[in-house]
Amino acid sequence: MNRFALLSLYRSLVRHKLYAALNIGGLAVGIAVFLVLSLYVRFETGYEKWLPGYDKLYLTQEYWDMPGSPADGYSVSTMGGLIDQLREDFPDTVGTRFQETDANVVKGENATSEPFAYADSDLFEILRLPMIFGEAARALQAPDNVLINETIAKRYFPGSNPIGQTMTLTVLGKTANYRVAGIFRDLPPNTELRFSMLAKTPYPHPDKMWFHWGSSRAWTILRFETSQAAKSREAQLRGFVDRRAAKDQSTSVRNLSLKLTPIADIHLQSTPGRKMTAATLGIVGVLTLLIAIVNYVNLATARAGLRAREVAMRKVLGASRGVLVRQFLGEALLVALLAALGGLILAELGLPMINAAGGLKLSLDYAVVLPGLALLAMIVGGLAGLYPALLLSRFPAAAVLASSRSPGGGRVGARVREMLVVFQFALAIAFMIGTIVLVAQTRHVRKTDVGFRRDGLVIVSSTSDGAVTEPQLTAFMARAAALPGVRSVTTSDSSPGSSSLNSDSYAVAGKPEPGPSLQAIITSPNFYPTFGIKLIAGRLPDDSHRADDARNADDAARKIPNVVVNRKGAEALGFDSPEAAIGKTVGRSNPRTIIGVVENARFFSPRDPVNPTMYYYHSRFSTIPRTTLRVEGDPRETIAALRGIWRQIAPQVPFEAQTANQNMEEYYKADDRATRLFGIGAGLAVLIGCVGLWGLASFNTQRRVKEIGIRKTLGASATDIVKLLVGQFLRPVLMANLVAWPLAYVAMRTWLAGFDDRVSLSPLYFVAATALALTIAVLTVLGQSLKASRAAPAWALRHD
Amino acid sequence: MIRLEGIQRRYVSDEVETTALHDIDLHVAAGEFLAIMGPSGCGKSTLLNTLGTVDRPTGGRYMFGDRDLAAMDEKQLARFRAETLGFVFQSFNLIDELTIEENVALGLAYRGDVGDRRGRVAAAMDKVGIAHRARHFPHQLSGGQQQRAAIARAIVGDPKLILADEPTGNLDTANGEQVMNILTGLNDAGATIVMVTHSPSHADLAKRRIDMLDGRIVASAMRAI
Repeated sequence: MNRFALLSLYRSLVRHKLYAALNIGGLAVGIAVFLVLSLYVRFETGYEKWLPGYDKLYLTQEYWDMPGSPADGYSVSTMGGLIDQLREDFPDTVGTRFQETDANVVKGENATSEPFAYADSDLFEILRLPMIFGEAARALQAPDNVLINETIAKRYFPGSNPIGQTMTLTVLGKTANYRVAGIFRDLPPNTELRFSMLAKTPYPHPDKMWFHWGSSRAWTILRFETSQAAKSREAQLRGFVDRRAAKDQSTSVRNLSLKLTPIADIHLQSTPGRKMTAATLGIVGVLTLLIAIVNYVNLATARAGLRAREVAMRKVLGASRGVLVRQFLGEALLVALLAALGGLILAELGLPMINAAGGLKLSLDYAVVLPGLALLAMIVGGLAGLYPALLLSRFPAAAVLASSRSPGGGRVGARVREMLVVFQFALAIAFMIGTIVLVAQTRHVRKTDVGFRRDGLVIVSSTSDGAVTEPQLTAFMARAAALPGVRSVTTSDSSPGSSSLNSDSYAVAGKPEPGPSLQAIITSPNFYPTFGIKLIAGRLPDDSHRADDARNADDAARKIPNVVVNRKGAEALGFDSPEAAIGKTVGRSNPRTIIGVVENARFFSPRDPVNPTMYYYHSRFSTIPRTTLRVEGDPRETIAALRGIWRQIAPQVPFEAQTANQNMEEYYKADDRATRLFGIGAGLAVLIGCVGLWGLASFNTQRRVKEIGIRKTLGASATDIVKLLVGQFLRPVLMANLVAWPLAYVAMRTWLAGFDDRVSLSPLYFVAATALALTIAVLTVLGQSLKASRAAPAWALRHD
Repeated sequence: MIRLEGIQRRYVSDEVETTALHDIDLHVAAGEFLAIMGPSGCGKSTLLNTLGTVDRPTGGRYMFGDRDLAAMDEKQLARFRAETLGFVFQSFNLIDELTIEENVALGLAYRGDVGDRRGRVAAAMDKVGIAHRARHFPHQLSGGQQQRAAIARAIVGDPKLILADEPTGNLDTANGEQVMNILTGLNDAGATIVMVTHSPSHADLAKRRIDMLDGRIVASAMRAI
């Protein structure tokens, strides 16, 4: 490109400012959306990839094929002693284990909870976490050493060297002094590893369930040099499970298998919907970029048609075809680079907002982004520049100059452009339908009847800490119940947001062994009224029936305990109605008599089905007693009062309490985040689509100025002209629905299938999106159509 | 039928004010064939456009029969054009994307109910000898054929007034003659025609001729019959 070519490009951009701004801006927005969503996808798919040698690390997961049980599916933790048994059976095993829990850091009278793990002393050989101070391998040899991360070091030893200092920790109910032997770097945000403190796994382990198959205690990580080696080991694990687990899990071992999952896959696999969310947002990013590119190329080539006369003139003046091709390509590349730069700036400006909306910590990595953008600009510039470069420079100059028409692609060009509008709007409408369904679903899960009254519930999880004694618990419960505004208090081992994973199978006549699996939840007095769970048949347990208390049943030999089941439990056990279950005894080796059936209560994610559940009753406290209070008024005041009481009764255990709504919020957060990101992406895609439509409308209106003049001299009114011009664009937008509806239907049905509790895919969502798209399209082209329709016909006729 | 009194047309741009028409007084009777002559830029086309209501005068009075066109709004003028006028241009101004038949039908498109549309379109094409080209696109026709199609479009609605702006300007002699024959034939059949032309011989075919210079009518003559 010579100086004149640059100058003419600059003048052309300045002369058609609005066109240039919209066209370059549209591409820039597309690039920005793509950049931000790629960052998100990169973040989501980058979990554990920061670990040196991550591709050789495999997490051993238990897979339970037990539909209806809370244990169904994958479990990231295995039995604690798994790696010991693996080493016995496979001497070439290379691996490590750690047990994640919370540690209470005791300082004076008070304690605070921090994420902690017991780790084997070879942990750092396998997970090569970067150290700041100390030698990790040696530090994990002594049982009273602790390794802490930078944050813990700063929090508990501000301004002093923590090495060699003592920390008092309560771990799993046991308090001991530890010596700080090393500091490791804070783990990056994209990790499933949750510990900020490490100490050596006790040996022999005091947990009596440590070697119990079916318990979930530790992460077992194995290292294999090749994926083939991992695969062949996985194949051997079937026999290993049959051999080893059969001792503990006589019947249900058939449902258990061990899987080796690459450690980088854990994040996307561990939470339902996460993989689909990442994939969906990735697709939104790519499609938005595609819409922007199509737009840009479409407009650029359309405008280039208008330059046919200039090209012919240049040829007459002696420009060779090569020169012209270089000029057009150079121009297109330069403009695409401008747009890429604009996209980068927009992405940087938008990231804080996106991070806030999505609860993320994304940032641009220029070493990757800059070459990527340069490549993108070359592709887009090439696509946009190639058509005019090759086609226009080929036209015979004399014919172009003699003709009164511009060779803008004629009917074929117009049709191709119309198809591209159809494509763009199909995606835009599909995005709109997607956004509407996502918003409807995320609203639905907040409003739906979850089977208990979620408002006004306060949950104190501290009472389940192993360090809390029974007298402390009794005193706390009594004082909590006496607080103003507290209507009732109960304990249970499961509550909204946390659950016991215990389940058992009950043999039922006419069904194959071992029979349906029911989740076990242990309750205590006031459980049902506190939660507001409705009784639908039979009665609730109480202290006047001795067999109602499951512990009494254990004491008395062969006595059958009374239980309550939920509606799904009654169905799973094969009863025709809730009433039919009352008084019946189920289970052969573990008989239970059903005294009541209650409504299904969803304590967990709307994605997971409500489990068939069996509720046991303990007349004092449940085991693992999480306390739940039904309160009136502001729950924050109650929580503040409870904190005061707790500090007086059990100061050495950190106080933790939330409302049920806060706990449930955890289940909605990821989908809310995805909805917001999707909505932003979709909104911008629609915006880019509109920019394209506007540009095309402007181009077409300009091309049709003469026609408009003719029509007006023939008596067409302004309304006729507006109808003509607007109608021209409504057709492709309407046609776009033919593509968008089935696309959105399939996509949203797949997404909704990930939810057990979901909205139905109402046709209204589709109609609404179409109406919205039509309104937007009409508004986009209306302005220009009105302007064109008002121009004096004499001016229009002179225009040619 | 037409009475122009003191018609003025001034164009104002950022710095320059141009007067295209100075106090034009003109009467055109029904059934007349009026030719307007004059050098380029003398205001012929502006006068024709004003007669055709596609350009609005900045002063004066334009009466069409007993209707004051200055008092009409855009919508009323559009209706007036659709029902009363037929246009023929030097550059034909056919719509490239429509066939000849469709272009001719366009002459009725904005006229509400006109009865047998197809029949009228066919008749108009027949009248100018272009019916055999009905399915062709403008660029597939010769200049003469395109102009005949444009005339068919102008007459398809039986207009009270046909306005022709240098209708033979882009045509060779033979085709020019043909077009003039059609126009005189239409006039003989009762149509009122106002035509701008550079050709004295074509002007002579009109019943009356006016000459313009610098936006004024400088001479007016009736053809001796």
